[in-house]
Amino acid sequence: MQDNILLSVNELRTWFQLKRWGFLRAGFVRAVDGVTFQLKRSEAITIVGESGSGKTSLLRTILGLARPTAGQITFDGRSLDGQKAEDLAWLRSHVGFVQQDPYGALAPFMTANRILKEPLAINKVNEDEHEQRIRGVMDEVRLIPVDDFLNKFPHMLSGGQQQRLVIARAMILRPKLIVADEPVSMLDASVRVEILELMRRIQQAHNLSVMYVTHDLSSVRYFSERVFIMYAAKIVEKTDVSEVVRNPLHPYTQSLLNAIPDPDPENAGRFRDIPAGEPPSLISPPNGCRFHPRCPRIIKGLCDVEEPREFEPAPDHFVECWLYK
Amino acid sequence: MTRNVKSQIWPQPDDGLSLTPDNGPLLKVEDVCLHFRASNGIVRAVDNVSFSLDHGRSLTIIGESGCGKTSLARAILRLLPRNVETYTGRVFLDGTDVMTFDEERFRREVRWVKMSMVSQAAMNSLNPVLKVGLQVAEPLLLDHRATKQEAVERAREVFRIVGIPPAFLDRYAFELSGGMRQRAIIAMALVAHPILVILDEPTSALDVLTQANIMNALKKIKKELNLNFILITHDIATSSELADEVICMYAGQLVEHGRADPFYLKPLHPYARKLMASVPTLRIEKKPDFIPGQPPSLLNPPEGCRFAPRCLERFERCQEEPPLFVRGNTAVKCWLYERD
Repeated sequence: MQDNILLSVNELRTWFQLKRWGFLRAGFVRAVDGVTFQLKRSEAITIVGESGSGKTSLLRTILGLARPTAGQITFDGRSLDGQKAEDLAWLRSHVGFVQQDPYGALAPFMTANRILKEPLAINKVNEDEHEQRIRGVMDEVRLIPVDDFLNKFPHMLSGGQQQRLVIARAMILRPKLIVADEPVSMLDASVRVEILELMRRIQQAHNLSVMYVTHDLSSVRYFSERVFIMYAAKIVEKTDVSEVVRNPLHPYTQSLLNAIPDPDPENAGRFRDIPAGEPPSLISPPNGCRFHPRCPRIIKGLCDVEEPREFEPAPDHFVECWLYK
Repeated sequence: MTRNVKSQIWPQPDDGLSLTPDNGPLLKVEDVCLHFRASNGIVRAVDNVSFSLDHGRSLTIIGESGCGKTSLARAILRLLPRNVETYTGRVFLDGTDVMTFDEERFRREVRWVKMSMVSQAAMNSLNPVLKVGLQVAEPLLLDHRATKQEAVERAREVFRIVGIPPAFLDRYAFELSGGMRQRAIIAMALVAHPILVILDEPTSALDVLTQANIMNALKKIKKELNLNFILITHDIATSSELADEVICMYAGQLVEHGRADPFYLKPLHPYARKLMASVPTLRIEKKPDFIPGQPPSLLNPPEGCRFAPRCLERFERCQEEPPLFVRGNTAVKCWLYERD
C-alpha cells in the first residue's frame, strides 16, 4: 500500500434490490457499477455527473451509508470490507460530510453550539477542549463574531451561513477527508463562489483530501485539480480540470461541455449540438458502452456489443471509450 | 382543422383587443406593485416596476432568489395568492389596459389565450390519472373554445412543435421522462396560440444535456412561431440563451433594463456588475467575485437605494432612492448615472 494514498476504491458496485414479489426477483438498480479510483492525501477531486448517474450513491457507499454489493474500499490503509460497526465508527470520525441541503442537514431544535458539540461528545473528545475547538472552527468558516452565532438556531441563519455551519461541523473532528455532495447547488449565485473558496482555503490550510460532487462543470475549475466524469453508474473519464476543458475525449464529456453556456449575448442566436435522448435506465443498462445509444461517434459492432476498457490516450488522462483503443 | 380551432381561439375583432403589431409595444408594465400580507408585516415583493417590451423580442428577467422575479410574472398574469395586500399599476397588452378587466373577462380573454406561463417545477404537477394529450388540450376545451377532436388535433400539433412524438398523447405523466414532461408543459402553454409566454425557471430542475435540448427547442419555437418569451431565471449563463433584452431585479425593484449585448458584456448597475462577475465560467479564465452581505428583507427594505448597504461605490446621494436613468438603450436605477 502506497503511503500517500488515502482512499482507494476498487471495482466498487452498489446495487439496490428492487421490491420482490413472492419468489420473483424484480432485479437491481445498478447505482454504482464498477468504479475504481485512488485519492491521494491532500488532493481535491471532483466527480461530475447528471442526476441519476450514481454520484451520490458512490459517496454514500464510501461513507458507509450504503452497503457495497462488490468491490473493495480501503481508507488510510484499513480495509472496510466487512462493514463492521467499529470500522464504520472509526471511518466516520475521520471523514467529514457536507450535505447538499444545509437546512435539511441541521437539526432545527439545536443551536449552532450544540450542533458542533454533538460530534465531539459522540467521539468522546475531552470536554475541556470543546469550547476552544468550536470557536476555532467557527472562526475558520467565518461565522464571526463567534459569540453572535453560538446561540442561533439554523432558521435564524441565511443559506450561506447554514452551509458554513455544516462545513464547520464536518471540520470539527479534524478529519482527513471531506466529502461534499453538491454543497452549493441550493445557494444563490452570489454566495456560491464564496463557499467554494472557503472550502478550497480550508482544504489547503489543513492538507485535507476532498471529494466534491457536482453536476455543474463550470464551478469545477475553482475547486479541484482532478475531475472524474460519471455517466450511468460508471466513471467514463478521469483527468485534470484544464485538460477536460481543453481536450475532452469521451463523447459524453464533449456533449456535456457543449451543453454548458457561458453568459454571452451570442448564445441567443446559436443552436447547441446536443445528443437527444436520456440517460439509460440503471435497472437494465444497454449492452456495451452505456452511452452508445446517444453517441454521435458510435462504432457499430463494437460499442454496442462490448463494454469499453479504460484507455490512457494521453498521460494521466483515462477514458473508457473504444475510440481510443 | 387547425385553422378552424384558431379562429375560435383568437378573440373576435370587436372585443377591444387589437392584434395589429404596429401600434406600440407588445407589453407595457407601469408602476406595478405587488405586496403580500405576512404574519410579521407586509412583504414588498414587487415595488414600482415599469418596463415595456416590443413585438418580436424576448426578455430575460434575472436576479437572486427572493428578488421578486416570479411575483412580477404573477402580477402580469394576475395569478395571485390570497394574501395580497396591494396590487396596483397598469399592464398594457398590445395597447389594451388589461388591469381594468374584471376577473372573468381577464380569464376568458387574456390568461392563456394571449399570455400563458410555464411555472417553476410545473412538470411535477401534471395530473397523474389523465393522459398527457388531454391535459395539454384542456385549455381549449374550457369555454367551448374548440371541440374535443379539434383540441386533440391542436395538441398533436403543439407536441410536434416542442418535439414530442405524437404517440405520447396517450401516455400518462409517469411514463414520461423529466425532459418530456417539461416539453409537455411548454406545449400546454402554447396550445391556445398566445402571443406572450412567460417561462419561470423552465430548466432549473433538469439535467445539463436535457436543459440544453429544451433551450434549443425554445429557440426553434421562437423562430418558427414568432412568439415573445419572457424567461425568468437565476441562472445567468442560461438566461443569455434566449435574451434580446435583460431586466435585472434586486429586492423587489427593477435595477437595470437594457439590450442583451451591452448587458452581458458590460452591465451598468453596481449590483448587476457584481452579479455577472460572480458567475463561474467554463471557457474564460477569470476569478469569480462574490457580493458580501445578503439581500435585504422585503418586509423592511432599506431607505434610499436598496443595494447601497452592500455597494462598494455608494456615496451620500444613495440615501435617496434613485429614479431610472436612461443611458442610450439602457435604463439603470443608480445615482452614478445621474450625469453622463
